[in-house]
Amino acid sequence: MRLEKCWFCSSTIYPGHGIQFVRNDAKIFRFCRSKCHKNFKMKRNPRKVKWTKAYRRLHGKDMTQDSTFEFERKRNRPQRYDRINTEKVLQAIPKISKVKATRQKDHITKRLSVGRVNRRTEDRRELEQSISLVKAPSVLKEDATLTLPKQKVTVSYAQTENTPMEE
Amino acid sequence: MAARFLSKSSSGSSLLGALGTSLVGVGSVARQTTSKLTYSDIFFQQQRTFVQMGTKLKVVDNSGAKRVMCIQALKSKKGAKLGDIIIGSVKEAQPRGKVKKGDVVYGVVVRAAMQRGRCDGSHVRFDDNAVVLVNKQGEPIGTRVFGPVPHELRKKKHVKILALAEHIA
Repeated sequence: MRLEKCWFCSSTIYPGHGIQFVRNDAKIFRFCRSKCHKNFKMKRNPRKVKWTKAYRRLHGKDMTQDSTFEFERKRNRPQRYDRINTEKVLQAIPKISKVKATRQKDHITKRLSVGRVNRRTEDRRELEQSISLVKAPSVLKEDATLTLPKQKVTVSYAQTENTPMEE
Repeated sequence: MAARFLSKSSSGSSLLGALGTSLVGVGSVARQTTSKLTYSDIFFQQQRTFVQMGTKLKVVDNSGAKRVMCIQALKSKKGAKLGDIIIGSVKEAQPRGKVKKGDVVYGVVVRAAMQRGRCDGSHVRFDDNAVVLVNKQGEPIGTRVFGPVPHELRKKKHVKILALAEHIA
């Protein structure tokens, strides 16, 4: 039994699921469900379809290079059955998948953290500029806690301010 | 949605009703040709069915024939699937070959557009319908086989064809 990857969306295909399509040049395409199969028949490029792993990896949304991927790489060399080895592998699999999951999550969090910072600065600016929509300026003047602390800035051209305008 | 397009079908066969499974006694491809079909629906509507009387198959060995029309699918009323034997009439042949046009021959279906379920639960389907000409004992007439063949043939005891094959899918 072998867990294959869907050609279109790159999800794992468990036994009993999906369709295998063999083209006349003997290339085999495996699909996890009819959604992927139908998209393939429509000749859609998975690299352009937003929900596929191929798109996500290509556009940097998901982690691409990591040492944890090396464990899953397909090796065509058959290995003689070794009970100790098998036990070690079975114990290692959940550990590796946990590490991989945390690394993937961190990658996405890091990518999205830029947006969080931007949103905070945006909110701060909106608060400073549009607070008059919420409370009248006269009220704000009376109560100091409602506004952000004002900073005193010295200006060099103080004299020109006071010159009266000439008619 | 599928039933709506069937009712507008302009193809000669009246295939209203059952869309999900094989359509008995009717042409193998239910392709609608009305103008109101959208681009995506054309690809979804094609229902793959059995190889039955009238199905034209490609011959993928060097026996001399090029195309064969199925006149009888042995062993099933519904039609032949991947790995089954059919009786066919040679419709097109190469000028100097073991088989001539108009001959009635036996053939083994090595590629079928209709998916066939395997014992592990998966399904396989190929790009076209192809056949390898065989004699009554089941031995191939030609000496070479082109293209991929399924390993369903092993269970059906067509070992010689598997031996000649380029690629086993």
